[in-house]
Amino acid sequence: MSGNLPHRPPVLRKPVVRTRRGLGGALPALIIVSLFFVVPVVALLLRSVTEPTPGLQNYAILFGDGTYARVFFNTFLVASIVTAVTVMVAFPVAWTLAIMPPALGSIVFGIIILSMWTNLLTRTYAWMVLLQRTGVINRTLMDIGLISEPLPLINNLTGVTIGMVYIMLPFMILPLVGTLRAIDPMTLRAAALCGASPLDAFRRILLPLSLPGIAAGGLMVFVMSLGYFVTPTLLGGTSNMMLAGMIAQMIQSLLNWGLGSAAAFILLVVTMALYALQLRLVGTQRVTGGV
Amino acid sequence: MKLILAGILAGLLAATAARADEMVFTSWGGTTQEAQTKSWAAPFEASSGVKVLQDGPTDYGKLKAMVEGGSVAWDVVDVEMDFAIKAAKDGLLEPIDFTVVPKADLDPRFTTDHAVGSFYYSFVLAWNKGAVSGEPTGWADMFDLKKFPGKRTFYKWSAPGVIEIALLADGVPADKLYPLDLDRAFKKLDTIKSEIVWWDSGAQSQQLIASGEAAFGQLWNGRVFALKQDGADVGASWNQNMTAADVLVIPKGSKNKASAMKFLASATSPKGQAMFAEASGYAPVNTAAKAEMPADVVKSLPDAFVDGQINLDMNYWAQNRDTIAQRWYAWQAK
Repeated sequence: MSGNLPHRPPVLRKPVVRTRRGLGGALPALIIVSLFFVVPVVALLLRSVTEPTPGLQNYAILFGDGTYARVFFNTFLVASIVTAVTVMVAFPVAWTLAIMPPALGSIVFGIIILSMWTNLLTRTYAWMVLLQRTGVINRTLMDIGLISEPLPLINNLTGVTIGMVYIMLPFMILPLVGTLRAIDPMTLRAAALCGASPLDAFRRILLPLSLPGIAAGGLMVFVMSLGYFVTPTLLGGTSNMMLAGMIAQMIQSLLNWGLGSAAAFILLVVTMALYALQLRLVGTQRVTGGV
Repeated sequence: MKLILAGILAGLLAATAARADEMVFTSWGGTTQEAQTKSWAAPFEASSGVKVLQDGPTDYGKLKAMVEGGSVAWDVVDVEMDFAIKAAKDGLLEPIDFTVVPKADLDPRFTTDHAVGSFYYSFVLAWNKGAVSGEPTGWADMFDLKKFPGKRTFYKWSAPGVIEIALLADGVPADKLYPLDLDRAFKKLDTIKSEIVWWDSGAQSQQLIASGEAAFGQLWNGRVFALKQDGADVGASWNQNMTAADVLVIPKGSKNKASAMKFLASATSPKGQAMFAEASGYAPVNTAAKAEMPADVVKSLPDAFVDGQINLDMNYWAQNRDTIAQRWYAWQAK
């Protein structure tokens, strides 16, 4: 990696077809997208309203049943908590990266990218080893006498949050660094000269200016969290089930593909709606990290 | 149109489909599939010249997708028996050709028109000796948090076993288990729910008990057998052990049906069953297999522990699979 960090982070960039001529070049991509995305999604939708019998009964079941309502609620709860914690952890890291000398910055940047290349399952299993009752963290804390009973760090919301925040961090840090680097450091100096305390400068200058990056990263993390499967399954308990886990259960165990398709379609619609909302609120430019 | 998704899924899965002189055997992985490979696939390859590719773990959703999409990559699949009964009813399985697979010595309890036994096993109560003081003697002890504190681990999926355990612990006599009183079972399970850690694969159940992450558990006897062979400090109680079976099935539309039938004949032969039992600790489904086994192995198998043994009712489960599963997962998610 060169010393120059990309100022535009690689996030949710939608290819925009500007001219008719551009369409020709995009044709192979369009065919692939329609073959592997549009067709399956349509098939999914059809399945959800045709199995086991034609009608909307699958959706009626999903919206009418307390269990499914709990899973929906849980999915949004986990995604919200993960997003909030990720922002709080990522901001200082991104800021440090943004003001670091470029040579050092690219090393740290490389470490963060490297973690994204490591297999997700491996990383989640590593957390299991660390977090379980007989795991490294609990053993150490008990050995030095800080606790007498193992802390419940796994098979619950704590485990899910820790594991997911860890995995989501790069997706928050990358857009945030781009935004923070584009902020003129002189604005902060000016604030200080005008008598603002560091906290004031953060709250009234840095935070508002970095909002587009927070929004871009936050949306990405939130949307990715909504559909997460591996980490909640391995680090959570059955009462922390999220939508993706429920869908897997419907497809694999209950073999109720109609219901599973309906749940998957709802997840898709919610995700798309959130993205549309974001576009409207922040604008395409800002969502893609440009300032 | 409805089949497009299944078709695409199956098409992707079939990319690994076997050639004519090959077939694919799918099971649950871990020590069990290793034993199946060694005892069934290797001798079959030697005698038939057909190469047996291993895949796994068994996934009922994938199996359904393959059959519906008409692109079946698996030729023989190891499944739980209650699933096999239901899948046969749903038209997902090929009927077994009993002119190729000799039926005479097969245990009729595990033989149907669409499935032959794979092995049969018992759920037993296992514990980590370092994590438990005293010796649990029966399922009721798993519900006694005062006498036996600590995490307990149970099978995560909706399947025969845990409901029956809860009912037995609550005092239901073994011969009055069916039809299952689900309300009563869930009420009993509620009393220990916060202490339950679920295992979703045999390997995980072994890891939980061996590490002491869970003090006790409901485990497949073969997995306890393997733990003991590895020298893990575990105890096991066969009191009220519960038998259920895995069966071998051929998904409808298998491209190597002829080889698959011959594989079934070989796997359920007295020799194949004896070898597998010796390697896995599970009981043979061929009644002539015992003659081929060393006496000490025969003594360690589930059918040596018939005293107080409970046969889980596969037909009841096959009929009520969906209803119970819905209650089960709703209760788990609470």
